[in-house]
Formats: sequence, C-alpha cells, structure tokens
Amino acid sequence: MNANLGAMNDGREPHPVARVIPVGGGKGGVGKTFVVANLAARLAHDGYRVAAVDGDLEGANLHTCLGVPRPRCSLADFVAEREDDIAKLLLETPIENLQLIAATASNLATPQPSHARRVRLVRALRRIPADFVFVDLGAGTHPAVMDYFMIGEDGVVVIAPEPTSVENAYAFLRAAFYRRLRLAMVSHDVRTVVTLAMDERNERGIRTPVDLLREIQAIDSSEGARFVETMRAFRPRIIVNEVRTAEDIKLGFSVRSVCRKYFGIDAEYLGYINHDEAARRSVRARRPIVAAHPRSDASIYIARIARKLLVPRPSAPSTAQLGARMTPGAP
Amino acid sequence: MKSVSEQDHFEILEVAPDASREEVERAYRLARSTYADDSLAGYSVFGEGDAQALLQRIDAAYRVLSNDESRRAYVESLRAEGSFAEVLPPLVEEFTQADALPGADVLAEAEEESDEFDGARLRRSRMRCGLEIEEIAEITKVNPTYLRSIEEERFSELPAAVYVRGFVSAYASCLGLDARRVAASYVRRLEERRGAEHRFPGRR
Repeated sequence: MNANLGAMNDGREPHPVARVIPVGGGKGGVGKTFVVANLAARLAHDGYRVAAVDGDLEGANLHTCLGVPRPRCSLADFVAEREDDIAKLLLETPIENLQLIAATASNLATPQPSHARRVRLVRALRRIPADFVFVDLGAGTHPAVMDYFMIGEDGVVVIAPEPTSVENAYAFLRAAFYRRLRLAMVSHDVRTVVTLAMDERNERGIRTPVDLLREIQAIDSSEGARFVETMRAFRPRIIVNEVRTAEDIKLGFSVRSVCRKYFGIDAEYLGYINHDEAARRSVRARRPIVAAHPRSDASIYIARIARKLLVPRPSAPSTAQLGARMTPGAP
Repeated sequence: MKSVSEQDHFEILEVAPDASREEVERAYRLARSTYADDSLAGYSVFGEGDAQALLQRIDAAYRVLSNDESRRAYVESLRAEGSFAEVLPPLVEEFTQADALPGADVLAEAEEESDEFDGARLRRSRMRCGLEIEEIAEITKVNPTYLRSIEEERFSELPAAVYVRGFVSAYASCLGLDARRVAASYVRRLEERRGAEHRFPGRR
C-alpha cells in the first residue's frame, strides 16, 4: 500500500487543492461513466481520497455504477439552490475512500445551473476534501459541460473506436479549444474573429486554427503570442475505450497526431481499455470492475491509467527534455 | 505553431531528429494509416484535398528520412537555414514509462512483475506492441488458431507440451519477451491443468 495522502494530511492542516479530473467525450455511450467509476475506485483502493462527481444532470447514472442505488441528495440540490455547500452532498459508497456526489432528481425544466451558479460549482469542486475529484460530464458540448471540462488542465476525453465517437470527440475538442481561446483573448476585435472562426463556414475562409492564428497575428501580435501560449497549455488526455484489436489501440496515437496537425495542440494518450464482457457484468452487478474482477484485462488497463494519473504532469515539453524521452523500441 | 505546409520532414512524421530507422518506419506506417482515406481518426477533420496533400508530404518526408544519406543532407540543409525550432516529443511513446512509479500498489504491477505468464498476459503484451494475432502468426509461422488457443488457454485444443513450448517461445520472442522464461511458465500452467484433468477426468 502506498503512502496515504489523506493520512499525511491528518485533518489538521487545510487540505491542499484537489486534483480535478473532468471526463468528457461528446458522445453518450462510450463509457465515460465506466471510466470515472473505475479510475476513482482504483485510486481509492490505493489509499487516495477520491470523490466522484456526476456532472450529467440530464442522464445521471454514476451512482448506479458505484453501487449507491438511491442517493438521498444530489448536485440538483445545489443547482436548485437548496444546498450551498457542495461538501454536504458527498455520499459514502461501498468502496472505502471513495465518495460520490450524485446527479439524480434534477429539475427537468432547468437541469443546468445558471452561469453564476456554475462559477461557484467549479470553485467548490476544487475545494472538495479529497486528493482526486473526478467529474463525469454529460454528452454534448453544452457551455456548462465545456466549463466543467476547463476546470483543470487534466481533462480526459473518452473515445470508442467507431466513427460516431471519433467525430463527436473532435467536435468536443473543437468546442473546448474555441471556448478556451475566446476566454484568453483580450481585445474585442480578436474575440470577434475567434467567434467568427467558430462557424465552420465562415466568410473569412478561416479553416484551421493555424489560419485563425495568422488572422490574429495580423490584428495584434501580443494576442497572437497569447494564442500560442493558450494552445500550448491546453493538453487534453485521451483514453480509447472498448478496444478489441491492436489496430484499435493505434487510434489514440492517430487522434493525437490529428490534434497536433490540425489544432496545434499536444494531446496526451493516457491509455486504452479493452472491450470486456466482465465490464458489462460489473455494470449489471453495480460494482466497479476493478473491485469485482481485479484480474480482468480491463482492470489491469485501468490500473495502468490510474498510475499515469499519479504522475504530476510536466509543463509543455521543451527541446532539452526531449533527449531523455527518446526510447527506441516503443510500440 | 506551424501549419502543415510549413513543417519540416521531422515534424511531418512526428519523429525526433535522432530517431532510429525503426522509429521512422513506425511513424511512417502510423501516419499513412492516420491520414488514409478511410481512416477513423482523420476523415472528419481533414477535407479530402487536405488529406491528399498531407499524404504526399508524408511520403516525401519518408523518402528523405528513411535513407541515411539523404537524411544527413537534409539535416545539413536545415542547419544551414538555422531551423529545428519546434521539436515535438515522439508521437508513439512507450506506454510502460509510467509503470515503474513509486507509491502505487497496483495489482497489475505485482502481476506484471511476477514470473507467471498466462494467456491473458501474453495477449496484453501483444496488444501493447500493437500486433494482431495474424501478424504474430506470419512472423512465427505458428497457426493463428493455436495462438488464439494459447491466449485463451484452451489447453484441450493444443498439442503436446513440447510443441506448445516451441509456439509460446516463438510468440514471446516476437514480443521482445524472455522466451525461455515465458515458455517455461506457460508450459508449467499447461501441465498442471492437464495433470488435474487427468486425475479428475471430465472436470474443466
């Protein structure tokens, strides 16, 4: 068992800011909830204090995957302003060290929080007393979803090796990319150009982010520099789920290449999880697979990803670091 | 941030200037499949014309970088221009890099460091290397049906242990594993299981 960060903290000192890991992917049914439940359970098993937050107010089911059949409170209470303290919504799960904020019983008329409420939510998530806070995002690219995805630099995109999922993942990354960019730009004129570029059929003929950068540089060079910095800092992480063949595994590398060539962003390929019948059974049994079938391939792949999450992310790579990373014989 | 048309050959193939011939080869294959017409990863982002242009650039980069002589000349010309500005880390990194971290008591770690090599572990190693069963079969000349039976541990469908040892050994060396160790471990499993079945016929 590794050093328990919670124990180290001992409850006396104010808890350090939790690492918030939003997990999105655009498309429903690619296994976001499965990934969140299992990464959370895996890290909790390793002694980290983990909170899993269901951010899908319109299709909540994280509670089911974690074996909490009828949550007595939920994020909906925060949205509806019945509860202001996020920490009070934390529920115990059958898994030690793992707490849940469910998203059940939302108001169908106004499921998403107001903008002001969203800002509060994002702030509150960071202060949840835990080492890791996973946020299971809903499908689509609603501004609320994108805001949650932006909480940290650690946003994870889950992709399944099928065209619909890959298309949606790019749409999701595109939305995240432009939202981030618009927030980072200062000048009114530049923001206008960014908004224009968000329309794929814009009249200026801005087709790629590189085209957009050229336009911005022409207007204001300092904004151009800010653009480049913003993109450098944006490093989403990719998980390919439902892998059946070795070919499927390569999809992660290919998506990473497209992200570089098209968006100019350096995504990270965090890992893959195989298609596993045991996974289906574990969902039916309402238990994370890492607890129900710890020796299954899927559990082992999840453990690998969890271990990668423990590594603090280096800042954008510099040329000097590269020499050390060149290891021949990589797959 | 450079557009594709401004990228040099190394950037196009996403390899480092000192990439080995093998790395260049691998990067080329990945790039070809990423930007091919029917590619899952590329088609929805790049238009047809863009993808075509990119493929041409990829081929051109490969032609230069796969040959030691032309590569040297190319590096010289880049140096003369004073570029080599933006070097990206290699696209395909070893997944295992983070595996040796301190602090994580993970089942996988214990399992993957143990001496036990079962069928599932062979399959995971194969997937990690990016190889399909058919590719292993082609290299090892072992029947793919046997390879599948080995991975799935369908011992009743496998021949005598002495043959299985040879198959597993060829399979393991194909993945860069210690062939003798892997084969010994696997055959031990096989014999234990067969021994048990011999004592309790009909039980599986």
